[in-house]
Amino acid sequence: MLWCGLVLLFWPARALRGDNFVFYFPSSRQLVPVEVIGNSKYLPLLQVLNLVGKLNGLQEKRNTLKVAFGKSHLEFHADDEEVRVDKKTMVLSAPVRVSDGRWMVPTDFVTSVVPDIVSVGVEYQAGANRIFLGDIMPGSFSVRLAPLSGGARLTFRFTEKVTVRTVSVNGKWIMYLGDHPIEPLEPSFRFQNPYVAEAQFDDQDGWPKLVITPSTAGLNFYSTLVEGGKVLLADVVKPSAPQAKAPPPPPPPAAAVSGPPPATPAPKASAAAAAPAAAPGPPLPIVALDAGHGGDDAGARSRDGLAEKDLAAQLVSRVRSALLSSGKYRVVLTRAGDINATFEQRTVAANVAGAVLFLSFHAGNLGGNSPRVALYTYQPPSPAAPPAGDEAKPGLTAWDQIQEAYLERSRQLAQNLMQRFTQISGLSVDAPTAAPLRVLRSVNSPAVAIEVGSLTLESDAGALASAAFQEELSAAVAEVLAVLPGGGGEATR
Amino acid sequence: MSLRTKILWLSLLVTFAAGVFYLRSLAGRILSELPLRADEAAKARLNEAVLQPGGGPSENVVLYFPALGERKLVAENRPIKWASTTDDRVRQVLLALAEGPHQALGHPLAASTNVRAVFLTLEGTAYVDFSSDLTKNTSPGIETECLAVYSIVDSITTNIPTVKRVKILIQGQEVETLEGHADLTEPIAPDPSLIRGGP
Repeated sequence: MLWCGLVLLFWPARALRGDNFVFYFPSSRQLVPVEVIGNSKYLPLLQVLNLVGKLNGLQEKRNTLKVAFGKSHLEFHADDEEVRVDKKTMVLSAPVRVSDGRWMVPTDFVTSVVPDIVSVGVEYQAGANRIFLGDIMPGSFSVRLAPLSGGARLTFRFTEKVTVRTVSVNGKWIMYLGDHPIEPLEPSFRFQNPYVAEAQFDDQDGWPKLVITPSTAGLNFYSTLVEGGKVLLADVVKPSAPQAKAPPPPPPPAAAVSGPPPATPAPKASAAAAAPAAAPGPPLPIVALDAGHGGDDAGARSRDGLAEKDLAAQLVSRVRSALLSSGKYRVVLTRAGDINATFEQRTVAANVAGAVLFLSFHAGNLGGNSPRVALYTYQPPSPAAPPAGDEAKPGLTAWDQIQEAYLERSRQLAQNLMQRFTQISGLSVDAPTAAPLRVLRSVNSPAVAIEVGSLTLESDAGALASAAFQEELSAAVAEVLAVLPGGGGEATR
Repeated sequence: MSLRTKILWLSLLVTFAAGVFYLRSLAGRILSELPLRADEAAKARLNEAVLQPGGGPSENVVLYFPALGERKLVAENRPIKWASTTDDRVRQVLLALAEGPHQALGHPLAASTNVRAVFLTLEGTAYVDFSSDLTKNTSPGIETECLAVYSIVDSITTNIPTVKRVKILIQGQEVETLEGHADLTEPIAPDPSLIRGGP
């Protein structure tokens, strides 16, 4: 009994990975992973403070942490709900914890303490995992469900204009609502209806979207934007039922295989109306897009603070949009949001999806002038390993040697990309070279790593951060892929 | 149970809990100090190897340093009095690399890099165990990382022909990459095509 009691007493509180807390800023949004410790949700304190303002210094002594933040001085004690903010004492909903050496605060720290210590306007809804800092006016919406002949119609009335792009995932329909922040009045709406079970708002990856859950399988889904983009009509109908209203002309097909967009600003969706999403898309080939680094691995960083992980995610987001707009490919992302996926996880995401091409995006110090692009294909670390040949041979191939079957086709893809990149004004392009890149080693398709530069602490990001440069580079990538022999529905591995 | 017995049990419990806390903190301190001591010992060995070279004449060794932007390795010569054993010669080459180039070239190793250990196999693979500050102060990136790796590998294999491949370890552990790019899970063979003026 005594032993059990002591073990329970000193057993560290278990930290579980939960969802994200979204920080909306006027021109960006950042995700902070929420951890569940005990029964409460926690955020990493220093990461939160770094996001919302400037840390001037900190002092850690045993169970006490003192932080100079902006003009305020904060004092935290491990396992204590009370937080000292200058001369004021504030009480949190749960004790401050130290987990794996990180100081963790309950999520209500963001809504109770942060508004007192930042100088910008703060808007939040108690209990919600999002906060708006600075000059942001989040939109909202109301929902109404009405019967249709052989179906049901959801009418979403927004306070701001939205764009809609619909994808179908795991029997649900997801409608991405563009990049304007939204604060829903209710996070989800449940219905007692034979066609629609639930409409749920979600922005856990930083992108506002509606997830529609049908009551039964086999229904069709059509969405239309009306009234200048402020009203969204979503019809869920039986396949045989005539639609109440003719569907809009189909825009380029949406990605059926698609991770959520990364947690960095992306180009605005251009489609004003959404496509019918119930009918399965044509069997387009899949391109795997890999944004290097992520999560606590920021990669390279520029003098003005642009991190490689964010730049890579921005490029991937733009290439993804360009590829989807081309109507020739579907896209799978190897990391969803700001997480540090392992090399194996990235490879598995591409290989399991059956990707026919793999592009990995990076940024770093390339020396010389900027902007600059370098292209890499795979090279085994040791040529003593028996080559697998240019094409996959029948039988089993070792997982860690599979890329060796695509070396020539990868080189050709890199050559094609280089030739197109040289047409971009002001961009220096290095000839493709082979390197033992870990991320390419187990990719079961032609694979190329694209590194843009120079992203170093000695200089600002400059053109690399500009939307125009990123758009031009992304469009060039999409163009090359669109005219690849065997691309656009015929590509095979 | 009498009040006295209760107090006795409570005192025992408090004493026991204090003991557990003390042992935990003691174990934490001992474990965190071990790697530091190992580093110091390795550093001492490295200095010993370099500062007490063999008595023979100096030989010119070729070191390869990264030329960023050119994506090449550029050779520089250094006079070195070779140590007697191969693993110490590997250390000598690496220490010379860590001292940096004489021209305006990149630094493949941080100056503070410590070579913790070198092991050679009969098949000609050198296992080199670096301290974790190998990439300290270097700019991350595919190009910088790959050139740094081949700077190490080509410099060792060029000057010590019995070494055919180099396997890089960090703090005694196998790592996938240095900073997310170059594959370090296997021993790496030299790549002469990266050398300026090479094949």
